[in-house]
Amino acid sequence: MESNTRPAATAKAGPMGGLVAVIARHRVLAALVVLAALPFVTPYEALAVNILIFGLYAMGFNLIFGYAGMLSFGHAALFGLGAYGCGVSIAKFAIPWFLALPIGIAVAGIGSVVIGWFAIRSRGIYFAMITLALSQVVYYSAYQWVSLTGGEDGLRGVNVPAIDVFGLHFDMLDPLVKYYVLYALAAVAIALFSRILHSPYGAVLEAIRENETRALACGYDVARTRWLAFILSGVFSGFAGALYAIHLSVVPIETLNYFNSAEVLMITLLGGMGTFFGAFVGAYVYIMLQDVMTVVTVHWQLVVGILFVVLILFFPRGIWGSLLKWVRA
Amino acid sequence: MSPKDVLTISRRTLLKGAAFGAAAGLAAPAYLRTARAQSGPIKIGFPVPITGPYSTEAQDQVRCAEIAIAMFNEAGGLNGRKAELLVRDDKLNPGEGATRALELIESDKVNFLCGSLSASVQLSVNQVAKQRGVIYNSISQSDSINEAADFSKYTFHEALNPHMTAGAVGRYVFPKFGKRVAFLVADYAYGHEMARGFRTAGKEFGIEEVVEIKHPLGQTDFSTFFPRIQAARPNVLVVCNFGRDQLNTVKQATDFGLKQQMKIAFPVLLFSQRLAGGAGPFEGVFGGANYYWGLEDKFPSAKRLNDAYRAKHNNAVPTDYGALGFAGIYALLEGAKKAGGTDPDAVIAALEALKYDAYKGPEYFRKCDHQAVQSVLVLESKPQAQVKSQYDVFNVVEMQPPEEKFLRSCQQLGHG
Repeated sequence: MESNTRPAATAKAGPMGGLVAVIARHRVLAALVVLAALPFVTPYEALAVNILIFGLYAMGFNLIFGYAGMLSFGHAALFGLGAYGCGVSIAKFAIPWFLALPIGIAVAGIGSVVIGWFAIRSRGIYFAMITLALSQVVYYSAYQWVSLTGGEDGLRGVNVPAIDVFGLHFDMLDPLVKYYVLYALAAVAIALFSRILHSPYGAVLEAIRENETRALACGYDVARTRWLAFILSGVFSGFAGALYAIHLSVVPIETLNYFNSAEVLMITLLGGMGTFFGAFVGAYVYIMLQDVMTVVTVHWQLVVGILFVVLILFFPRGIWGSLLKWVRA
Repeated sequence: MSPKDVLTISRRTLLKGAAFGAAAGLAAPAYLRTARAQSGPIKIGFPVPITGPYSTEAQDQVRCAEIAIAMFNEAGGLNGRKAELLVRDDKLNPGEGATRALELIESDKVNFLCGSLSASVQLSVNQVAKQRGVIYNSISQSDSINEAADFSKYTFHEALNPHMTAGAVGRYVFPKFGKRVAFLVADYAYGHEMARGFRTAGKEFGIEEVVEIKHPLGQTDFSTFFPRIQAARPNVLVVCNFGRDQLNTVKQATDFGLKQQMKIAFPVLLFSQRLAGGAGPFEGVFGGANYYWGLEDKFPSAKRLNDAYRAKHNNAVPTDYGALGFAGIYALLEGAKKAGGTDPDAVIAALEALKYDAYKGPEYFRKCDHQAVQSVLVLESKPQAQVKSQYDVFNVVEMQPPEEKFLRSCQQLGHG
């Protein structure tokens, strides 16, 4: 498992290594530069927003999966709670977006506190199953609570036609403006995420992943560290979900479906688990491949499926993870 | 380039290479972007679930939509302006549907949208379209889309809605076969809305609901429900499910001998499922439909669609849901013709005033909710002995006329 929580230590000599070291040292800046160009390397802006949002979601998921080494199969619940929290605030209670966004994050946060509390005492496949089961509870609750969530029809009416901040007017119906507004919000999350990984807490998390017994012996509270990782991971996923609600102006019930949990796992594996950029690389490849192939052929599932198998076979560390290894070799 | 080569390249060359690569990367997807012409062809975006459980229906919708486009173009278009269909796969997912609608509106600059096959996808496409002032003609069953909360002046609904469909079937079967009614309902929005339609229609006949059983979507074994249904001794069993569930229900009900004791009625009797299941299981089963190809004896417009379809697709005939693809596009293009252009407000006014006969006799859009007021067919599946050809499967036993009294009133829907 490749990790770059301490990039300076892993940087090696060699021209590529030098470049990688520079990028790794300024990884937030590098990520933002690349993401700023995203609308110009996708067929249309709405897809770029999806990549941004799912990249953010995968980044949050990566915290618990890649950095803490626990496979959660219930992150759809956290993404979906963020989306519904924000969406319901806007559509049903006419709360302005700048309050709805934190409400979405808070709802996802509460969800992850509860789900995490139950799930964190189990390991491996049991952890995956418990998170899956609890996320299904959230799914069916939203499914049944039609008056609030719209049930199977999904939530409609998440209208954010324009955003005004500090006297600036942003027309959210303009696709490019919408991208950069959401990009600016995502930038805050990315910087914060990097800060968390850099903190002593991030180091403890990886220490636990590598050797739990030893971390325990060093006096770290393993259970609490993990719980906090789950909560933080949920908060980032929920933030991505809240942006999704604003982006599409609807919240489909499918956001809570377990399939959405599988998708983020796939994105993370494709990009490279436990790598900082992997989430966005994975999201780009996963979403772009599907989007382009569906227009080309009705048998896109076959083509995309084979490509995924090939990618996983030849890039077992994910695309970004394998690239890092190759450069540093 | 092997890793060894990389090590011999200077950093400067590498940076140059990287810059070049980035530039190429930026330029490469340009061909993926469609030209953003403002005049030129009339573009209609068509998101439907080409893959997934309803792919058969959706692919037929595409075939029929293409016929409508071809017919319009062959007739000279709109003063020479041709129409163009942009098909997208919505994957039966509202998120994908909304994203595709954004693509079609923002990037492809479509003039109109049409399509979808699930209630939730159509509602999300509608939400995106109405925010951006793009006319959307939905071809999927839904009651919600008529209601004031989801409606906008840009929203049109060419498909039937559950209230009309279930109502037509209910008004046919209840007086004929008896008042004791059992319900078997797929436990999701479609099933619930259809059951509500049957109950509303049943009120005027004073039906007695003897039992209601809900089953999850994708149930494979229905036989466990049958003893309970038999014990309740209904005259009519109303089964509100769709697609494969429908086929499984009739197969098992026939094997179980349910048909000897009661009549079975579905809100929608699918042509494609009947073809897949054969005459035996469906024999004597009733259900509603927007279309059946056999209407061609009565309506020249049905013959026009069937003939165009036969010529293009090996003598096959369009399915009920497929034909909606034709009607949806046809209505939009008629509107554009009447308006003399694609300006949304002009087209809306034209569509509101339009009386059209796309494929089964007269239709028009009701002013308050833009629901297409149209006939609803009640079908009975033929026994094997009466089947004359491969596609000869149904008798049209009743045709509910296109009248507003069969729709929920504008007040009920919350329109002013």
